[in-house]
Amino acid sequence: MVELLGAGILNVLQAKYLLSLVIGTLAGVVGGALPGVTITMTIILILPFTFGLDPLQGLAAMTGVYVGGSAGGLITACLIGIPGTPSTIATTFDGFPMAQKGQPGRAVWLGVWASFWGGLLGGVFLIAATGPLAAFALQFGPWEFFSLFVFALAMVAGLTGTSLVKGLISGAIGLMATIIGADPIMGVPRLTLGSEFLQGGFQFLPILIGIFAFAQIMTDIEKMSGGGPARDVARQAPSLSVSHLKIIAEVLGRPFLLLWSTFIGILIGVLPAIGGSAANIMAYDQAKKFSRHPERFGTGTPEGIIASESSNNANVGGSLVTIMAFGIPGDAVTAVMLGAMIIHGIQPGPLFISQEPRLAYGIFAAYLLAHPIMVLLIGAGARLFMRIVTVPKPVLIPVVLVFCVVGAYALNNTIENVYVLLLFGVVGYAMVKFAFPLAPLILGVVLGDQIEVNLVRAIMTDANPWLFLTRPISGTLIALSVVSVVLAIWQHYRAQARMAEAAEPDVDF
Amino acid sequence: MLGRDGWAGLVCLAGSLWLLTLTRGLPQPALVPIGPGFYPRIILGSTALLSALLVGADLLARRRAPGPRQGQTAGTAPPPRPRLPPGWPLVLTTFGLFTAYVLLLPGLGYRLATFLFVGALQAALEPRGRRRWIFIVVVAVATTWVTHLVFETYLSVLLPRGRWTAF
Repeated sequence: MVELLGAGILNVLQAKYLLSLVIGTLAGVVGGALPGVTITMTIILILPFTFGLDPLQGLAAMTGVYVGGSAGGLITACLIGIPGTPSTIATTFDGFPMAQKGQPGRAVWLGVWASFWGGLLGGVFLIAATGPLAAFALQFGPWEFFSLFVFALAMVAGLTGTSLVKGLISGAIGLMATIIGADPIMGVPRLTLGSEFLQGGFQFLPILIGIFAFAQIMTDIEKMSGGGPARDVARQAPSLSVSHLKIIAEVLGRPFLLLWSTFIGILIGVLPAIGGSAANIMAYDQAKKFSRHPERFGTGTPEGIIASESSNNANVGGSLVTIMAFGIPGDAVTAVMLGAMIIHGIQPGPLFISQEPRLAYGIFAAYLLAHPIMVLLIGAGARLFMRIVTVPKPVLIPVVLVFCVVGAYALNNTIENVYVLLLFGVVGYAMVKFAFPLAPLILGVVLGDQIEVNLVRAIMTDANPWLFLTRPISGTLIALSVVSVVLAIWQHYRAQARMAEAAEPDVDF
Repeated sequence: MLGRDGWAGLVCLAGSLWLLTLTRGLPQPALVPIGPGFYPRIILGSTALLSALLVGADLLARRRAPGPRQGQTAGTAPPPRPRLPPGWPLVLTTFGLFTAYVLLLPGLGYRLATFLFVGALQAALEPRGRRRWIFIVVVAVATTWVTHLVFETYLSVLLPRGRWTAF
């Protein structure tokens, strides 16, 4: 393993891979720092630029975006109190107060170094756990894979929104998008309405761009108002210079906090449906509970920043494990990462690490190297990034929309993909307005083909449907799917009961 | 009367039932136990069922909802109306411009359509000030030129040439 990792690192250190990793990380940091531009959107926008590159170059860039984006959000979170991404929400709780107290450099760099160490520890887990988990997954037949995908979908549908039914419908809409086109057994065109273009089915990149980028932009436009606090901060241009040794000592001087927050980040990354946005809040909450001075949280305490940032970068390592070992994405960001791998001709899953060790260890190496690169980039350009985030939305929005169009078109040089982007953009925006969660839809789109193929394979091998329940792993996964659905229903009723209690008039008075 | 969820459920129900009827024409092979319609029927049937559940849940929730408050009679309490988002004219304008861009792209070609779209959308989103027009034109030209250069020259993506303009 160490030899393969060493070879992977040497491989990625070659100029062509290193350059794409640096550019990807830079794009991730900038995208993460831009409020309203999520990591998912940044990956989607960068993906078309990697079409012409070799798989490892493309995946190094994507890994860089993912790592850079997870850390980039902390710059705006600390300096202007607006989290660049949902995974830095908890960083604002203490980062911004610390910056307001006249320590903006300390706030940013505590976050950066916590991200660095948390991310590296997540990387150790990624490298150590992917192989054994993939070996375990080799025992899986089509029944187990089908049940695993159903479990992932059930978890995401049940836990990402307020309504389980809406989550399931959202997932079903994603699956519906994958049944259009030729069927995997006989190649018979299905539901194509006579369109030649639809015979090939929908490509998922235009769907992803439409659902995430277009719908997100429309939602931003609703709330648009010029100016904002970013401009003021840019004008102030705070000094971010600090003693890095002191900051590193401050982070490493809290080993329990760092390890526990990292563990939470990894665990949440491995579990489907939860994601980085929950990891940072849970780690922050845990840090507060374990702290001797919980009253200091929210006033600019370093523990809050360290907990939030180490967990969200460790979360990246955890979620990459489930993609690489099982081929299932945990949330929308990882679904897009999985999609990016598939576009580059890679089918992640249990066979990936044994059949493509060069690529797998290349991704591990890119993940590890992205962290020091991220630190260097933030060190070199944090003040510049602050200027970039002040780009007014009336300029940013048309440019991003043009990138969306080019991204959809460049997939295979067809204008029909741009029409698909428009169609799913409207669908995505409508779903946002009707309060449907989008993550299950994306998971449905990404997993739909695999679910069908494994279902068909299972039935073709043995038509007995009970095998899905009687095979131990498959049965366990189906049982877990049922449990997650029941849990979501229970949570829904508990929330309703609380709301009803709160609405009741106070009879004691 | 249906609420927001009810209408959403009805649209999904109608869509899934319509697609479900289309699967009836799919052939059933003689040699394999399941045909091309097997999986779509499961998905579409489940979607229809879930959509019906959403409609039902919405109807139930509205029936259980408390009546008008004290001091209001049933006749004077208007039913809550769905509110339009505050920035809806901008959303509508953006959507219109984007649709026009997408539809005109094959006719005008990438460069002309992109220049017009970026300029028009910037003007629509922040129309104030005379000096802004120069800025708008600069951003539109730069976006068009940079994307064209990067994608055509470095990434070998042949961006659309205009059918009407040959540009």
